[in-house]
Amino acid sequence: MQSLYVEGNSAMHRLSPRVKLLSLAIFSIVLFITGNLVLLSLAVLAAAILYRMVGLPIGAALRRLRPIFLTIAVVALFNLLFNPWQQALVPPLRLTALMLLAAAVTATTSITAFIDEVTALARPLERTGRVRADDIGLALGLVLRFVPEIVDRYQAIREAHRARGLKVRPASLLAPLIILTLKDADNIAAAIDARGIRRHGS
Amino acid sequence: MRGTGLDIHFEGAGVSFGTRVALAPLTLGISGKRIGVIGLNGSGKTTFARLINGLTKPTVGRVTVNGRDTADEKTAAADVGFIFQSPQNQIIMPIVRDDIAFGLKRRGFTKAEIEAKVEGVLARFGAEALAGRRAHELSGGELQVAALCSVLATGPGILILDEPTNQLDLKNRALVEGIIAGLAESAIVITHDLELIAGFERVLLFHEGRLAADAPATEAIARYREIAL
Amino acid sequence: MSTRDLVLTALFAAIIVALGLLPPIPLGFIPVPITAQSLGVMMAGVVLGARRGAIAVLIVLLLVAIGLPVLSGGRGGLAIFASPTAGFLIGWIFAAFVTGYLSERLINDRQSGLVQTVSFFLTAMVGGIVVLYAFGITYLATVAGLGFPKAFVGSMAFVPGDVIKAFVAALLGRAVMVGYPLLPARA
Repeated sequence: MQSLYVEGNSAMHRLSPRVKLLSLAIFSIVLFITGNLVLLSLAVLAAAILYRMVGLPIGAALRRLRPIFLTIAVVALFNLLFNPWQQALVPPLRLTALMLLAAAVTATTSITAFIDEVTALARPLERTGRVRADDIGLALGLVLRFVPEIVDRYQAIREAHRARGLKVRPASLLAPLIILTLKDADNIAAAIDARGIRRHGS
Repeated sequence: MRGTGLDIHFEGAGVSFGTRVALAPLTLGISGKRIGVIGLNGSGKTTFARLINGLTKPTVGRVTVNGRDTADEKTAAADVGFIFQSPQNQIIMPIVRDDIAFGLKRRGFTKAEIEAKVEGVLARFGAEALAGRRAHELSGGELQVAALCSVLATGPGILILDEPTNQLDLKNRALVEGIIAGLAESAIVITHDLELIAGFERVLLFHEGRLAADAPATEAIARYREIAL
Repeated sequence: MSTRDLVLTALFAAIIVALGLLPPIPLGFIPVPITAQSLGVMMAGVVLGARRGAIAVLIVLLLVAIGLPVLSGGRGGLAIFASPTAGFLIGWIFAAFVTGYLSERLINDRQSGLVQTVSFFLTAMVGGIVVLYAFGITYLATVAGLGFPKAFVGSMAFVPGDVIKAFVAALLGRAVMVGYPLLPARA
């Protein structure tokens, strides 16, 4: 699966994930405190510039945001019908600014960097005894490892149905898919435990 | 690698699930480099194997590996690697080198040391080309080799292989057979594939939860045929 | 969390992701195909129970957050959470939890197939519609500035489709229960 990370060397690429996430959080708070249209428009502009600097060709950059922006626009239009524009423009400006900065963070932070960051953030929670930080990377890896196998299994079940002249119905397809996939859990768990992967650390 | 010779002791160790006896209490010492384990399905051979790496705990008695009780999670099983029959379900990361590296986490190695170990273990089996491959695209045999690398990267001296060639075609079977023959680690091989253990000096035959034979391969296999057929 | 539970949860998350890659599934009794991914989310609680179901959904959202296009249509990335409909995404976690919580306590293996199916339908409705829409509508009303009355009215159009999904989820829940029961028994 191709991630949304874009290789590059922009200013945002060089910032650590933690700084970017913190900035995004602070940016969000500021956006929702102010109702000033000028300030919000400037925020949109600033975020747009940062997003442009990421290095994506304009077409691709816009395509990524189209579904989100369309929803923002539709809701805004709906709002404009019933409320004065000074009021109705505030939420779409906020959300657009947020969308652009968030997209810039996503495009400049690799999957590995993100996983390392989330694991590091979860590390202090290990003291409560209820969380194992490394389980996060393990769970994410497991998902990415087995998605293609599950897709293959779905195709196989569908073909088997076709071969037997059965109609394609959700229950008869999805039930075996879920059951067969989950039945693998014991074997996979045994392999993980046999390698001592979850034995170390607290 | 730790503890290269087998030094395993079963001291009245047995496993029951309720009224069902998976393995009757067994007292046995295991040493040497190659041990075969054969028997019908449900004979207790897999339970026997799982007692050695601590995946199953004895309900009576105890098992020690290199002098340490397998009930003590953190130490005994670290000396024992386990290869399962299903090639797909042992690789847990999308890319082979990440899978090998994941097993080396939190053991105090630097990133460079981990990379070196990953490359080293792949080179052992001439499998450097597998490093960047996606597990989803590999054949059964390639997956078993990758699993072997992942398991051996942490340096266990003992390797248990539970029906390693069961799901493999002829070509991949031959590949794995060759690897087992050349392993520097001590190996306990559980199998239906009698040719795999035909040359072993010691083969254990299990039947209905009990040890039915403990002898060189030819004798044990003959006894197996008597019981099974 | 036991390793088995961790793997079950991750595998279900993988199922939800895989369902996002599939084309909509035709139903047969109505002409509109259903998108499989949201059906998968409804099933997380029904199949795995509250805790594991919620965590499975959380794993999917984490994959979205770190930049993988796992939502149906190849969507992903942090920007998704800036959409006015993001409340429905966050709501997935709580919907799965509530569906799972109710399923654990209402369904047991001594009941008939019909009782189990009806019970699953109720839990899927409470979790997958009531709870989910509570989060979705609140986000739409507040963050997206639509106000509760309009957010509520605007969202109602999607309810009939989700009722049908809850029905399919119930049938599937019962089928999985027969084949491989995993619900922690608390009924």
